[in-house]
Amino acid sequence: MATYDFVFDGLGLREWCGGDDAGGGGLMSMDALLSETSGTETEVSAWDTPFPSLDALNAACPAMPQSRDLTSGLENGFLAIKDGLQVVVDPLTQPLSWALTNALWIMQAAPWWLMIPILMIVSYAVGRSLKLAGLVGLSFAFLAFIDYYDYTMQTLAIIFVCAFICVLFGVPIGIAMARNDKVQRGMIPVLDMLQTLPPFVYLIPLIFLFSVTEPKLYGIAIILYAIVPVVRLTDLGIRMVDKEVIEAADAFGMTERQKLFGVQIPLALPNIMAGVNQTIMMSLAMVVIASLVSAPGLGVLVLRGIRSLELGVGLVSGFGIVLLAIILDRVTKAALARINASQH
Amino acid sequence: MTDDIKISIRKLYKIFGDAPQTALAHVHEGMSKADLLEHENHVLGLNDINVDMPAGKTTVIMGLSGSGKSTLIRHLNRLIEPTAGEVLVDGENILDYSPRQLRDMRQHRMSMVFQKFALLPHRTVLENTGLAPSIEGKKSRTYAAEATKWLDRVGLQGQGDQYPHQLSGGMQQRVGIARALTSNSDIMLMDEAFSALDPLIRTDMQNLLIDLQAELHKTIVFITHDLDEALKLADHLVILKDGFVVQQGEPQHILLNPADPYIEDFVGDINRARVLRTRSVMEKTEAPVEGLDGEVDHDDTLESVISMAEGDTNKHYRVMREGRQVGVLHMRDLVRALVPTSRGEETLVS
Repeated sequence: MATYDFVFDGLGLREWCGGDDAGGGGLMSMDALLSETSGTETEVSAWDTPFPSLDALNAACPAMPQSRDLTSGLENGFLAIKDGLQVVVDPLTQPLSWALTNALWIMQAAPWWLMIPILMIVSYAVGRSLKLAGLVGLSFAFLAFIDYYDYTMQTLAIIFVCAFICVLFGVPIGIAMARNDKVQRGMIPVLDMLQTLPPFVYLIPLIFLFSVTEPKLYGIAIILYAIVPVVRLTDLGIRMVDKEVIEAADAFGMTERQKLFGVQIPLALPNIMAGVNQTIMMSLAMVVIASLVSAPGLGVLVLRGIRSLELGVGLVSGFGIVLLAIILDRVTKAALARINASQH
Repeated sequence: MTDDIKISIRKLYKIFGDAPQTALAHVHEGMSKADLLEHENHVLGLNDINVDMPAGKTTVIMGLSGSGKSTLIRHLNRLIEPTAGEVLVDGENILDYSPRQLRDMRQHRMSMVFQKFALLPHRTVLENTGLAPSIEGKKSRTYAAEATKWLDRVGLQGQGDQYPHQLSGGMQQRVGIARALTSNSDIMLMDEAFSALDPLIRTDMQNLLIDLQAELHKTIVFITHDLDEALKLADHLVILKDGFVVQQGEPQHILLNPADPYIEDFVGDINRARVLRTRSVMEKTEAPVEGLDGEVDHDDTLESVISMAEGDTNKHYRVMREGRQVGVLHMRDLVRALVPTSRGEETLVS
């Protein structure tokens, strides 16, 4: 006899449950098996009354689903729509795979004596600081010296592609949110969810949807995780543009387009750049986790350090990631400072 | 006045709230502003405004904060849409304008100067000045000469390459004025344009505006909460209180004939000797009078006459306008005019 027999008897649902041989149908739980084999009917005291969970109710009435039915149902449901979803999502995301594959190829194919100066020049062009360019050069030289150059370039290639796509989609989404309260109300829960979901959870449906060998699998995971700050800060930046300046733009007869590109975006640029900085930092964090699903780069070494307890490899690659983080942060912050200096 | 009317506001109402039209019906039935806020939760911003603004003159709209003056000026270029009423500019009701017509009017026929300057911080002073031509799509090469001309005129020679944040407040507002002038519009809306400046710079700017106006004859609509400033600049003065027009007319007239206690309070603190002109207190006569002590101009302030008479109240002066006598000024009348009059009492202007 199960604890909740009285519920179904009382409601007269015994027929629907399929007769009175309780626990007969469905899959058997370990407890039920044990009690059956030991031949003793366990007496349940009031103190141990189980919560009326799916499993407890199933014990009383076999027609009730078990909790394992819930998870397997979800799984089957997902598998059922998977093919249909793939038809749509696969071609849409294919460019991401190409971009990642090509970026990885270019960054690795270029010889170090070309790549390191190029990175130094780029950082100088963005930050206008020789010290910063020096830091970039030294960091990459150090990583190359300890033979981590290839891994570093892989990580960097993934970050460049993903951060670029985040900005490409994030800024327009942020603009749409700033211009329309309804869009903002709709987007905020989505952004909240993306920000609070543990990064590992993104990976689960993606693994089902794409094969683990495809670069877009980790690309999408990184983009979903890292796109949030640039969207939020674009929205905030445009909403914070001085009302009087907007009024002046209106009073002199600017069109909506002129206002957006001539006033709102330039004035929101410090905030947008702060968002880009955050987005780059977050894609760096995610690229390590994404090594679980075959993202190449320094993350693979960290993973190796954990899996096979290679303490030294884990620590050195961890330090490499910190170095990359410092460089990326400094370069974007320098760009931000330059924008700020020209406006205030 | 016989001047051409440039802007004409007719029966303008503005009610802030969720259902302004319902609230408007209540207002037409005579509900007061306080009742409307309490029972209907709507704010009566502007209540039956009727103002004619003469072309080529300065109309000053004065009121304390919350009186609706900034709301009113924003109706003139439709930065705010009215609940009911008409705004006629050059005889056309701008509320009928399509977005394109409205933009065209804002680009070519009306410019605006703001309290907090509202310059674009990422553009140079020259680019800010050329905002109106740049909106039309002109390159900075094309408008540079025009913009530089106006920058020079407002006293900002050689500052074109600076950024706004490198200039002081007074200089930024000069850019604001140059920007309005560069648009070549007939109408200039000035929303508390000098209120954010310190007193000395404010006086400079007022004088600059008076000079410019003497030269250019724009139709200026000037908003202020400062009566001294209003009296200094106004050809036509409109006094707003709680969203309706308490009194409007020629400033000297309002000063000598306040329509209600509110205006009396207002004008009570004014240095009348500096604001009133001899023409407002003289006895009008063209007949020659014997035994006068000298001549004064009809536009002289009483202050200057007092210093000329050295405080003697027994003197009499001939008041001249363009070489002709237009009246006689008795110092005794002048002294009496310096004391604020209460409504109902005999006033000095006949």
